[in-house]
Amino acid sequence: MSGQGQVSFRNIVKMHGEFAALKGVNFDIKPGEFFALLGPSGSGKSTTLRILAGLDAPTAGRVLIDDKDVTSTDARDRDIAMVFQSYALYPHMTVAENIAFPLEMAKLPKSEIAPAVKDAARKVKIDHLLHRKPGQLSGGQQQRCALARAIVRKARLFLLDEPLSNLDAKLRLETRAELKKLQRSLGVTAVYVTHDQEEAMTLADRMAVFMSGEIQQVGTPAEVFARPNSIDIAGFIGNPPMNLVPARYVDGDVIIAGHRLKTTATTAGERDVVVGLRPGALRMAEGGLGARVDLIEDLGDTAVLDLDCAGTMIRMRVADGNIPGEGDTISITARPQDIHLFDPATRMRL
Amino acid sequence: MATTAVTSAEITSEAPRSDFGRVLAQRERRFAAALLAPAFLALLATTTFPLLFLIYTSAFRMDLAMPFTNGFVGSENYQVLLSDERFWTSLLVSLVYTGSTVALQVIIGLALALLVMDMKRGQGWFRVIAILPVVLSPAVVGMIWRTFMLAPEFGIVDFLAINAGLGSKNWLGDPTLAMVSVIAIHTWQWTPFAFMVLLASLASLPEDIYEAARLDRASAWQRFRRITLPLLRPAIVMVIIMRTMVALTAFAAIFTVTAGGPGTATEILNLYAYRKSFTELSIGYGSALAVALLIVTIIISGILFAMRRAK
Repeated sequence: MSGQGQVSFRNIVKMHGEFAALKGVNFDIKPGEFFALLGPSGSGKSTTLRILAGLDAPTAGRVLIDDKDVTSTDARDRDIAMVFQSYALYPHMTVAENIAFPLEMAKLPKSEIAPAVKDAARKVKIDHLLHRKPGQLSGGQQQRCALARAIVRKARLFLLDEPLSNLDAKLRLETRAELKKLQRSLGVTAVYVTHDQEEAMTLADRMAVFMSGEIQQVGTPAEVFARPNSIDIAGFIGNPPMNLVPARYVDGDVIIAGHRLKTTATTAGERDVVVGLRPGALRMAEGGLGARVDLIEDLGDTAVLDLDCAGTMIRMRVADGNIPGEGDTISITARPQDIHLFDPATRMRL
Repeated sequence: MATTAVTSAEITSEAPRSDFGRVLAQRERRFAAALLAPAFLALLATTTFPLLFLIYTSAFRMDLAMPFTNGFVGSENYQVLLSDERFWTSLLVSLVYTGSTVALQVIIGLALALLVMDMKRGQGWFRVIAILPVVLSPAVVGMIWRTFMLAPEFGIVDFLAINAGLGSKNWLGDPTLAMVSVIAIHTWQWTPFAFMVLLASLASLPEDIYEAARLDRASAWQRFRRITLPLLRPAIVMVIIMRTMVALTAFAAIFTVTAGGPGTATEILNLYAYRKSFTELSIGYGSALAVALLIVTIIISGILFAMRRAK
């Protein structure tokens, strides 16, 4: 029953009246992959997931699952399991009945349902709660129940819509790790929607970054982190995100606040650019860009410095034990290969 | 003994504070009682007293046509009642009337609510129009149906029956048709109530569990059977309870349409008690019939409330 789980979106457009929620989305998901749809709220990632699930129909474009056009196939017949942000547990059923529901709908004999339910509950560690109703469970337990209901059926696709967003910070980290292990052990294709770039970075094999109804970049978390495609992505990925500083490019150098920095990035002639600098890529060194330390956020093992470089705010991450004091003036620089260039007009990478 | 001493000592030591609180609470309670008293007394005078008086009367022979036979008879009225065939018939009519009208109201009301839920536009209008029968007086409804709808040749229902090739029927003259008619009238008037309650309840159900059920491959029927129905259960039981109470004690609509006739075909227990008391002027026996109706109502509502609590 469980197929491949290969997904293709072809020019998917979704209109809500005049408003374009999705403006032609294309991507492919390989079988067995953990694929994240990442973006800020309202960027179209949840709409994409709902179209993939068959809960909403696209205005235009085609959805292919395992090379079969399912654009007009009902959600029932797509063989997809989903974990909702709200968990969407059936409130009148016990945990066991909730987990058993998809199997009963598939008309499995009772003798097979009971062990399958136990097995799924054990995988997410709620086998001691089988007789409770959802109302008697904590948020984390409800979330596990929703997970168990999704994995019990062994569908070919496993969709997760911000499943961790209603959990507290500690539980979120624990569950995140378990989720990854679970997906690996099941070997199922998972599509994961989140607005939390850290979640996407840690969980996903590959991810698609959504910005206002479009995908701006698809790649592994490392690729997206190392080479963000646009100013918007650069400002979204990383914690704290990349510093984006207006500058001037003059054959092989960028000039920031009157200081020249060498760069390996190249562009034609002499022009205005936006320079992207990761906070972690900045170094303190003699003869660099002068900056005053405005504020220090000490995170324990590292610290984030808010720097004022002649009126431009730059954030820098430094290792512990190497921290200047607030009000000090320091000199910073970056390696040529760590300098990213963006076009201020198109907002794309140069 | 020792423990008691300690306890009372503790109480004394805390006396000043708790004393103050107690006095305050007492005063407040008294004020509350004074505020409640008028309504409470009015209720006592208009409901409890007549009820007790009814039970008292049912132990007397009180025949306005033959006052010389009046007097205390104990449980004689009830003994007569138990062997009164007309009582049993009217009880059966009451049960059939109640059972069928409540069942129809719930089924039609639920079906309408499900249909209207899926309406994208005009829900508000539909609600307003649907509520109209409820705000009419049952006596008016009875008159409308007797004249406009069911009158032979001229009534709308009869007109439709003729055009449908069924021929003109004596809707209120034939015992079975008369029963069907009064059931239809009650259902027509009160289904909107069930519809409104169930629609409100349906609208409060979360959308996402239906989406989850679709992904879990439940068909529309399975979603209704396994999710909608169980989640609506409290509302449905509440509608059944409320409508059963009313149907058991229905009066005005039947009274104006058939007055219990033809013969005793539509004579529900309530109507029989009325006829006995105010047509035959046998107040004592009429009271016993009313008490019997009260007992039946209590038993049925007891069963329904137990059903509501179950599970």
